[in-house]
Amino acid sequence: MTNQTTQRRPQQLEDSDVQQARNDTPNAIVAVRNGSVTYDLENRDAMVLDDVSIDLKRGEILGVVGESGSGKSMLANAMMDAVEEPGITTGSVRYYPESDGNPVNVLELSRGELQSVRWEEISMVFQGALSSFNPTMDIRGHFEETLTAHDYDVEAGMKRARQLLSDLHLDPDRILESYAHELSGGMSQRALIALSLILEPTVLLMDEPTAALDLLMQRSILSLLDDIKEKYELSILFITHDLPLVAGLADRLAILYAFEIAEVGPSEEIIGNSHHPYTRALLKAVPTLETPPASMEPIEGTAPNPAHTPAGCHYAPRCPLATDACRTETPPWDDVNPGHRTACFHPEKVPEAIRFDGGENGS
Amino acid sequence: MRYALKRLVQSVLTVFVVVSASFGLVRLLPGGPLDYLRAQAIQQGGSDLSVTEINRRIAAQTNIAVEEPLYVQYLEYMGAIFRGDFGRSIWYEAPVTEIIGPAIPWTVFLTGSALFLAFTVGVSLGAFMAYREGSRFDVASTGIGLVLNSTPGYVVGLLFVAFLGYRLELFPTGGRYASALTPGFSLPFLTSVLHHGALPILSMAVVGFGGWALSMRGNAVRVLGEDYLRSARLRGLSTRRIAMRYVARNAILPMYTGLMIAIGTVFGGAVIIENIFAYPGIGFYLIQAINARDYPLMMGGFILITVAMVIGITIADLTYGWLDPRAKGGDARESY
Repeated sequence: MTNQTTQRRPQQLEDSDVQQARNDTPNAIVAVRNGSVTYDLENRDAMVLDDVSIDLKRGEILGVVGESGSGKSMLANAMMDAVEEPGITTGSVRYYPESDGNPVNVLELSRGELQSVRWEEISMVFQGALSSFNPTMDIRGHFEETLTAHDYDVEAGMKRARQLLSDLHLDPDRILESYAHELSGGMSQRALIALSLILEPTVLLMDEPTAALDLLMQRSILSLLDDIKEKYELSILFITHDLPLVAGLADRLAILYAFEIAEVGPSEEIIGNSHHPYTRALLKAVPTLETPPASMEPIEGTAPNPAHTPAGCHYAPRCPLATDACRTETPPWDDVNPGHRTACFHPEKVPEAIRFDGGENGS
Repeated sequence: MRYALKRLVQSVLTVFVVVSASFGLVRLLPGGPLDYLRAQAIQQGGSDLSVTEINRRIAAQTNIAVEEPLYVQYLEYMGAIFRGDFGRSIWYEAPVTEIIGPAIPWTVFLTGSALFLAFTVGVSLGAFMAYREGSRFDVASTGIGLVLNSTPGYVVGLLFVAFLGYRLELFPTGGRYASALTPGFSLPFLTSVLHHGALPILSMAVVGFGGWALSMRGNAVRVLGEDYLRSARLRGLSTRRIAMRYVARNAILPMYTGLMIAIGTVFGGAVIIENIFAYPGIGFYLIQAINARDYPLMMGGFILITVAMVIGITIADLTYGWLDPRAKGGDARESY
């Protein structure tokens, strides 16, 4: 029934040497190493997250962009060991409660320890706020039961809840008395954000929190998020399929394609100086007011099925630059600039081969 | 509040229509009860009974004064019914209320216990099946549930009475309690009541729980897949709270109206079972009345059964909004 019982394979990464890990991930609050999620199907494993290593840095907003089924949600779920059965999470997820302290290995926690990390340290906002609330319980009940379940002081907690709600431009009295079905989409999404912050977490994983909202509401929630992040000292992982939406918000972007990370770097770098064919193709496919529709190009082909991911670079079958090496070997990380890495065999050819006159797409 | 008022008026209207229909049935059907009563009176009294005398007797029995114009008859009949006067039973030669009244608790005891048993067993079983969805236990229970749910209660009743009653003589085959006992709160009496009631209750419960189990299973499986359940687990709520406040509440809710309708059938739900077990409840007297063409008694039974149903459904409608905030009336809460 519970996620805590998710089976695990032996860790691929030995993290006896905590200091080593520390060196690998300067200023990280959550560090994922070789994170994989597999589902055992009848005759073959389906890999829905393939050997992903990424850091969420303290105080940043990291945008994770990918198309539907690229493994975005799996990455977020793996970060709080919340992959639903029968999914198997492997690799390591290290959470650093203090910037110079020892990490907590999230995937190795006992049920009780996990309970005190989830929501208290690492919290999550789900897509579809309406369906995330119990339809027969008012919003107040959700806050109170969460506080009670974690042995928090309910009175102080509810004070905080009211503060959170008004920080999110909601009327606490009205919202707390309401049931989910009485709230609009934007209101319930904001109420859900408040609920995710009720136990004062430091990390917030947001899984397409704005996908069900209209454009205006998306923008207003995003700007609220910036304020909330500063006020409550949060580090945010923001998952979306909407590259332009998150580009203006996020400090860094990670582009996920077919269960692995294609490119990661500062937002401006990814938007203006991408060195991965998929990122550039994705940017070309984004409609903007300035570019004529004719210059938009869809990416040919379809994303691979989790049970039949191609060998080598997952993007190779759709990539115009693919060589034999791409089809057989996993591309290594190439440092384009400090902090900007791309998983491509020939990143230097990319800007020439896939041109687009973007750069201002994201804001 | 306006909804409640509207709903109550609606129910009263329904009862009014039902009673009117019973008047219509008795008064207007050709070859119906009035002709039958008239023939009976003539047979009994011979030719020396005057027409007025016959009409007077009929009026006493049925509350229908045949000489009066139709609308006067109707008004008098309705007046009598709403005053609680259901006329006199021909067969028992006693007021209908005096026959049906004492039978009510016995019937309610049978149907109420059967419903309680079937509902609690069904809901618990259904929830368990949902948690073990797809297991051998689930598949077997679904099969058994389907078979039992499609079996008429009287088949089980007949089997019980034949094997456990007559063949094995484990249970009595008729009556409400051993006739030697005087009713009261004594242990032998209560034991006897349970002993006599066991088979009728079981035959209704056995065919009833399958349906509850299947709907509970379906609802619970749906709720278990909801996003809010996953969110509740991640928020670290206890398994107990999730089971009660999340799964049970949201899975049982859609069954509430069904339960209230079932409660509405407490008076009329055991007609055949009571006859199989010769258990003097409302249903038992109803069949007696039909066999004996005892129209006043019959009508009394019919009205009681329908009114109970109307009350059950009204209660369901009025209380549902209180249980499920989504179903609250439009003017009850502001939506924003």
